Parts: sequence; structure tokens; C-alpha cells
Amino acid sequence: MRKQLSSEHLTALLQALIAAGTRVVGPRRVAGILLYEPLITPDELVLDELPRRSVKEAFFPVCEDLLAYEKQGQQLTLQDVDPASFPQTVLVGVRPCDAAAIPVLDAVFSWDYKDQFFLERRARTTIISLACTSADDACFCTAVGLAPDEPRGADLMLTPLEDGGYLAESHSEKGEALLEAHAGLFSEPGAVQPLPLAQPQTLSFDLKKIKAWLDEHFEDESWDGIATRCVGCGSCAFVCPACHCFDIVDEGSEKSGKRRKFWDACGFWKFTHHASGHNPRDFQPKRYRNRIMHKFKYYDDKFGQTLCTGCGRCVRLCPVGIDIAGVLEEIEKKANE
Amino acid sequence: MTTEIIYSAVGEAIRTEAERVLADGTVAAVVGYTMARRKGSAQPVVLTKPEEANQLIFSAACVNNLAVYLTKAKKELPREGRIGIVVKSCDLKALVGLLGESQLKRDSLYIIGVPCVGVLGSTLQPSVELNAETVADKCRECDDRMPQGADFVPTVALPASPALEKKYAVEIARLEAMTPAERWSYWQEQFSKCIKCYACRQVCPFCFCEQCLCDRNKPQMVEGTPRPAGNLAWHLVRAMHLAGRCAGCAECERVCPMDIPLNLLNRKMSRELKELFHSEAGFEVREKGPLAEYNEQDDQSFIK
Repeated sequence: MRKQLSSEHLTALLQALIAAGTRVVGPRRVAGILLYEPLITPDELVLDELPRRSVKEAFFPVCEDLLAYEKQGQQLTLQDVDPASFPQTVLVGVRPCDAAAIPVLDAVFSWDYKDQFFLERRARTTIISLACTSADDACFCTAVGLAPDEPRGADLMLTPLEDGGYLAESHSEKGEALLEAHAGLFSEPGAVQPLPLAQPQTLSFDLKKIKAWLDEHFEDESWDGIATRCVGCGSCAFVCPACHCFDIVDEGSEKSGKRRKFWDACGFWKFTHHASGHNPRDFQPKRYRNRIMHKFKYYDDKFGQTLCTGCGRCVRLCPVGIDIAGVLEEIEKKANE
Repeated sequence: MTTEIIYSAVGEAIRTEAERVLADGTVAAVVGYTMARRKGSAQPVVLTKPEEANQLIFSAACVNNLAVYLTKAKKELPREGRIGIVVKSCDLKALVGLLGESQLKRDSLYIIGVPCVGVLGSTLQPSVELNAETVADKCRECDDRMPQGADFVPTVALPASPALEKKYAVEIARLEAMTPAERWSYWQEQFSKCIKCYACRQVCPFCFCEQCLCDRNKPQMVEGTPRPAGNLAWHLVRAMHLAGRCAGCAECERVCPMDIPLNLLNRKMSRELKELFHSEAGFEVREKGPLAEYNEQDDQSFIK
């Protein structure tokens, strides 16, 4: 379904959703940075900048409780978190590079084990994405097969128009339901002209060729050259819309406490540190190699797609300037040799 | 002279010197900066062959404190032979601290100092021009732009430092003027953004513990999850552990993906130590910092 939505009516839509008790999450400035955060009023929404963290935390929070325990004498009580208590949510202003990562996460969290914490939030969420009209030289969505107007992952996609307002296109039943429930706010599209889309730089990767090289080069001296500089933090993984590793820990005392799930990263030394003391990835280049292998080989082997949407966050934020697009360029060059 | 002309001369001199010391066997490796893919960007590089020396550059995007690569927490560098390292004077202060803490030996280093007119505060967009708006806050307070005691410093004349507002001083004054409750809520909000990526720890030359206390789980000393309790504990442990040691390279603050003003805590600690113990980190090689040494003359007014 294809409709038109004025800027005023977008505000009215969000206002109506908030008034009806729906949790509306969108880019909002918090202590100086832009994050996907619950909106109290629609005017908090900031749509002209890519949020610092990706939208994955709407389904896969930085940290969440899985259960609580309490011990009284010999009596141990466990209190589960009820995923049915997660609120109905509308995500708004989601960048296409963030939205496209959501189906990537769906595949992982619903594969052999059905992660209720992820899936229940996912089921209760409608995603309104926003086509991208500006890019910088860290953006490379087009190089990994996506686009500034990529609808993958979106229920409803807004495309900014020359004369203000948006074209609103539904891409799922949830999107259609949202259009129908608020039909009064949407109009039939006239002869509208969309704003020019962002032009991410002209990089283009042959992901098949890159994967073929990775298939054969688990051991290769170039990993040292690429990754000796890696200092082993989790910045890249944590700002990535598609990275999804987590750790689970019990915190509290003998008497009471909580079991928590929280983000983890393969760049950490601790990530593969065995209880025996042995660490199979004992050297930083081995950890960085895993990052590239997981994104462009292992995930592809298993799910037939790439674990990167080209948002460029890791490129902008790597403390030591490691540029994953530059690394892919280098690998493709080797593959062509 | 413009920044570009100065840094281009510095880069040229560094390349020539690095080639010389790699060729004549003075050093086994040189740690410096090289270009990355994006316009204007730079990244650390380790070179071991004289013919690679032409990769070295210096520019306003050469923000990293390379001293971190020499610590025992980083195991990727060659461990044999002398190591050449490119340092700005703020980075050199970290080397001085590491020498004092017996982490490095002076004769195992070949220090290539950079005459510096400042680097970018943020490399989110590395192609921006270095000016009074984009320069790092640490550079606004720098009064030591020629590294002292290096083995080689290019002979480049630097223009007089422009008078820039000292942002840390202003911000510390603003926070000191707050009530404790206001200050508490300011830091709570800042720490609430922390996602425990530990970029601040991983780039810090003084975070050289091979296993950080905060990574231990038997026993668990600090909650590891990115929640208010664990975040506060981590940032307090970090600030206290660096007090008297941090010389202000501000890498922790630059790399924080959540823009937590970490160097503000470090600068506040540094100021306290200067007032209490007349001690400043990074100027002389000394074995014990002010918090590791007992002196009867120390201020005892806090004992009531």
C-alpha cells in the first residue's frame, strides 16, 4: 500500500500512538548523543542523523534480566521474566541499514533455540523506517547489496519528499495494519517528487569472491598486518546493528540476585578464554579474523546472507581507525591476485 | 605556516629517520601512523622493513597514543630488539610513566618525537580541517608541544600557540559549582550511556594489567553488566587506578563511542593530586606515584 504523510501528520500519528499507550521509540538525544530511545513527545524525534547505537537494542537490549532468585532458609524461589509483559512498540525513523539488520538477527534468534526475549519483543514491534538522504564516506550499504531506500526489515517505509512530508509504503501486514488503523492521517499520493537519496561512495564488493577467499584463508599472514593494530575493545561489535553475541551472568549474593543477558564481543580477550586457562584465540589478529569470518563467511554458510549492512558505525568509531570497508577492499584485491 | 605544511615536513622527517633506523639495525620495528581508506584518516601501523618507512605519515588525524602498543597487555608487537615509536609530547608523558613503573626500559626504545600543533578531537569525520573548533580539548591546554628527551625530533619551527579557551578547566569549574546532588545526577546520566565496550581501557597505556580486575568472575569484584551499579563501579575503579598516573593523553575520552567525558574525571583527579601532593604525572621517571608512596609531610587534614 502506498500513501502520503505530511510532517504534521507524522507528528499526529506518533502523538496518537503515545496517547494510546504504545511505546514509541525513535532517535532522541540523550546526554549529548543520539540513541533509539522511547519518546515522551513526538518533538523529541531527530531524523537528520544516524543514531550512535543501532536499533538492535529494541529487541536485544544492552542488558536485560532473565530471571530473579531468592533464597530463604532452604527455600529457593525463582521468578521468571514474562516475555508477554513486553510492551507493544512502534519504532520510528529507523535507518534502512538498521532495519535491514533485523531479519539478520531474526534468523539467529529463531534458529535452533527460539529466544523468547528477542522474539516476543520482535512480535510486538512495528518498524517505520526512513529512506536515507545523506551519507558520509564511512557509509557503504550499496557495497553490501543494500540501498538508502532498502525496504528489508521495514513494515512501513517513509521516503522524504521534495515539498516536505513523506511517501509511506507498507512492506508487511503490520505496516498495512498501521496504515489502516490511522487511515485519516494518510492521503492518496499525488504527483510527488522524492528527495534525492543518499549517495554512498562508489565502493562495490564482490561478496562471493570475498567469501571464496575467506573459505581458503583461515591461516594467512595478512591477518597480522590488518589486525595487529586492533586493541581488543568491543566498540565495533556494540555499535553494529547485526552483531548479536551475548554473555549470561548471575549477579547478586547468595541470598538473592538476578540472571542477566548482556552484549559480548569477539574482540575481547575474555570471549574465548576457557575455564582451563587456555585461549584458542590468544592473539588479537585471531580475534579480528573471527569478526571478518563471522560476518562474511560463517553467517553466510549458515544463513545465506552477510552479517553487515554497511552502516559504517564501526568505521567511524574504531579507536584505532580499522576500516572494515578498507579491509574488504584489501581482501577482494587478494582474491583477484 | 599552516598545519598542513608543518605536518608534511614532520612526516617527511619521520619517514627518513624511520628508514635510517630500520636499515642500520638500530630498531627491530617502528610504530607510527599511516593513511587509512577514508579521506584524511590515519591509523597505527607497525613496520619492520626500511622499504616500508614511506608508509608513515603525520597529520591532525594521528590521534592515537601509540604507547599502548608497547605495554604488556598488547602481545602483538615483536618483543626482541629496540622499538622505534612516534610520539607527540602528550604520548611521551605516558612513556615516561611506563618507564617509571618498570614496564619499559629506556634503552629498548627509540623515541621519535613529533613537534605538534594539535590533533583532532574526534575522528568521526577525519577529513575536517584542524582549527579552534575541531582541535582536541587536551591540545587547548597543552603547553609542551616539543617532546623533551626524545631520540629524534624533526627540526620544525612551530608558530606561537593560539590562546584557546581551556575547556576542561571551564567544565571542572562548572561541575565544582554544582551541589553534590547535581554532580551525582550529571555523572549518573553520563555513566548510564556506558555499554562496557572497554574501549577506554583498551587504549589506555596505563591499563596494562594482563587480566583486569573488572574482568574477573571468581570472585567477581565488580558487576560486569552494563547497568548503573556496574558502570559506576567500573568508572570509579578506572579513575582511581589512574589517579597520579594519567598524564592526560585523553584517548579514553576520544574513543568512547558514547561520548562520556572520561578525561574530565582524570583531569579533576590530576588537579587534586597536584594540590595535595604537588605531583604531576608524566614529567619525570619515578618509581612511585603520589598514591603509592607514604610521606610524613603529606597533607593529613582529612584526618579529623
